[in-house]
Amino acid sequence: MAEHLVKSYDEQLSILTNTIAKMGALAEKQIKDATEALLTNDQEFVDEIVGKDDRIDELEKNIEAQVVDLITMRQPMAIDLRETVSAMKISGDLERIGDLAKNIAKRSRYVSVKLPDNIKKTIGAASEKVQKNLKLVLDAFVNRDAKVAEMVWNSDEEIDNLIDISMNSVTEFMEREKNYIKPAAHLLFMSKNLERMGDHATNIAETVYYLVTGDDIEGDRPKGQSDILSGQ
Amino acid sequence: MKNKIKAKGVSVFYGEKQALFDVDLNVAEKQVTALIGPSGCGKSTFLRCLNRMNDVIDICKVSGVIEIDGENIYDKSVDVVQLRERVGMVFQKPNPFPKSIYENVSYGPDIHGIAKDKNHMDEIVENSLKQAALWDEVKDRLDEPGTGLSGGQQQRLCIARAISINPEVILMDEPCSALDPIATAKIETLIDELKSLYTIAIVTHSMSQAARVSQYTGFFHLGKLIEFNTTDKLFKNPDNKMTQDYITGRFG
Amino acid sequence: MTREQRLKKRYTAEKRFRLMGIGAIAIAIFFVFLLLLKVFSTGSTAFVKTTIQTEVDFNKELLELKDVANPNIEQIKSAEFFDVTYKAATGLFPYSNAEEEKDVKQLLSGNYELEIKNYLINNPDALGKKVMIDLTASDDLDQLHKGNFPRDIPEDRRRLNNFQLNIYDNLLEQGKIKTVFSNYFLFSGDSRDPEIAGVAGAIIGSFFSIIICLIISFPIALMAAVYLEEFAPKNIVTDIIEININNLAAVPSIVFGLLGLGMLLGVFGLPRSTALVGGITLSLMTLPTIIIACRASLKAVPPSIREGALAVGASKVQTVMHHVVPLAMPGTLSGTIIGLAQALGETAPLLLIGMVAFVVDVPSVPTDPSTSLPVQIYLWSESAERGFVEKTSATIMLLIGFLIIMNSLAVWARQKFERKW
Repeated sequence: MAEHLVKSYDEQLSILTNTIAKMGALAEKQIKDATEALLTNDQEFVDEIVGKDDRIDELEKNIEAQVVDLITMRQPMAIDLRETVSAMKISGDLERIGDLAKNIAKRSRYVSVKLPDNIKKTIGAASEKVQKNLKLVLDAFVNRDAKVAEMVWNSDEEIDNLIDISMNSVTEFMEREKNYIKPAAHLLFMSKNLERMGDHATNIAETVYYLVTGDDIEGDRPKGQSDILSGQ
Repeated sequence: MKNKIKAKGVSVFYGEKQALFDVDLNVAEKQVTALIGPSGCGKSTFLRCLNRMNDVIDICKVSGVIEIDGENIYDKSVDVVQLRERVGMVFQKPNPFPKSIYENVSYGPDIHGIAKDKNHMDEIVENSLKQAALWDEVKDRLDEPGTGLSGGQQQRLCIARAISINPEVILMDEPCSALDPIATAKIETLIDELKSLYTIAIVTHSMSQAARVSQYTGFFHLGKLIEFNTTDKLFKNPDNKMTQDYITGRFG
Repeated sequence: MTREQRLKKRYTAEKRFRLMGIGAIAIAIFFVFLLLLKVFSTGSTAFVKTTIQTEVDFNKELLELKDVANPNIEQIKSAEFFDVTYKAATGLFPYSNAEEEKDVKQLLSGNYELEIKNYLINNPDALGKKVMIDLTASDDLDQLHKGNFPRDIPEDRRRLNNFQLNIYDNLLEQGKIKTVFSNYFLFSGDSRDPEIAGVAGAIIGSFFSIIICLIISFPIALMAAVYLEEFAPKNIVTDIIEININNLAAVPSIVFGLLGLGMLLGVFGLPRSTALVGGITLSLMTLPTIIIACRASLKAVPPSIREGALAVGASKVQTVMHHVVPLAMPGTLSGTIIGLAQALGETAPLLLIGMVAFVVDVPSVPTDPSTSLPVQIYLWSESAERGFVEKTSATIMLLIGFLIIMNSLAVWARQKFERKW
């Protein structure tokens, strides 16, 4: 892509992209840390995670301001316009992801019980998959790669399935250990949060696809199996 | 969508130098078609072919076919004066005649014998000025010279003058370049209203203006028509990379 | 060099430049002023004449109207005036011999008989009475009274002899010598006698010539300029025409006189020495000037006006005649007036077509023989009589006056009609 005749325009756009990348990296880390906090029961960690969420919120406001500036000053057209609008949407999704991660961290305070291995494993796997998708889709954003975005869009199904398994494991645990219903309930919410994070990553994938091609991805989002608990 | 004007294989030479290369472009009836492109790309040259204003320049040679309602306007049997009765033009710098406001608008109908009598002429003048959104501002001073109006008013007077002979097509060559933003906004509103009556083709340097007022846009570069599309498509997601580079200011 | 030094240097350079400009203008104005001074000082006296108060006896018997009771104008006009006028002239001063009688008579202008007759015609109730009339003096006495003749040179080199000088001094003492406004200068035609010579014929002759010049040259020049500027194709033929027109403007005016002589008088047999021929010759001369001025004005009309007219469906002819030409009018008119002013002052071509003849009558139509102002100046400047010197200067004053008026008119017309577009 050729450079703009006005150099500062290019600089503005690249700062915008970098800010998204930074925000995305932070969000990724939050998911990782929150999951770790849950699985290892480390309480000090939780406070750190909660504190860091402020940073994500700041970045969202920053991106909003950049977008408004771009529109005021540059009246962007075509691809530049799509970049600007996409950055706005993606920052919204990332901010929600941040909040969901913070929520998982907070809830982990109430899950001090030792978790069965199978629960740990599925939640861990789901979290890894979400982090991976998020990373992939943010790379796709930076590299303007529609193919990777489409791939991520298609693979949300896997996350849904993992979450499904996880929630079933937890409900079984609740049936066995009636004393641990409260913490188990928190676990259910946390699973749901992970699933929603996956959806937000899929949103970002749609935005990136639109950014690069100018069109919407065709078809309905592939969803996991239908289940009363996951509510699909 | 019916095409009022069909241009096929239009090439224009100024002496040895070629200014337009084999342009095919259609202008839809009662719609606004914008022509954009960097300086010297041939958009004005093309526009001026549509009412044969290029005939005025001796060394200018036009080849190809331009049909209006199916008739080739470059055919030998076509009378240029009658063509210009059907295809009017508004220029970049407002150029009202150094006569009164009334006479500016009545001149065209006068020489073409359109008005039956003085009352009819008064009607024509009033209607034209009303259509051009100028009547209220000048109705009490029709005898004052046209050149005494402000820039924006002068341009609307020129539009009234073009309308007075009841053309089918109105060509506008960067009509707002010399005007301030408020005058520009008034003219753009006017263009929007006029398109229900006339086919309009407008050359403009301002891409946001083209995006606002037109339904179809043609992008010219170095004498070639690079892309022609609905305005919506061309400005949101153009087919051609050069078009995108131009409208996003990446040209160089 | 420091900044202050550079500044000072620039200021002095500018001052020097300004002074040079003012100096140049001052020198030019100085010379013009000298000319005007000379002309005015010599010529201002031409507007007045010297008169001698003379007793005239309109005796009915001398007039041979004795038997007529109440004569009407016709009868008065056909009366015999010789005796009356002879008596009046010789009655100015006592004389002793025939030579002295001649001297006395010569003190009055050669026109005195006509003056006496006209007096009676205009004042018929003076019939039968003795009246004192201020008759025009001869040019010798006129010039003497105006101080143009030195008195202290030997008698045989003077125009007035001692006897005549004596009479003059006497009459002057008696208060019979007056200086009055000369109705001859402006209102009568040329004459051999300087004291009654006037420029009326020349003025009318010039007037007719200029009018004819205008009527012929303006439309032709306008159409030629419009054609060349707006319609002529850009090819070698047009270029040749253009070059020739520009050259014509530089052709010496006498050549046009030769043309007039050969074509108008020789081939077409038009009457020579008339304002008609003069006008046609002058129009040939003025054509290139007007064409060039008109073309420049047409060129100055911006193309946006033409485009505006064409775009509304005006044909080329309509565009040019309705829009371009009216806007080019101020420049064309001022060029025309300047061209006419030049034509007014032309002498050479008119000499060749014969407007140099001595013409006494004031012409009433352009086909009457006449002369023109500059030619009149030329003719009078060649005459021997002293009286013509002041007339020549006075005519120059008149001519300069007309030229100033015409050029001012050109400037005014241009300013008033110039339209902003």
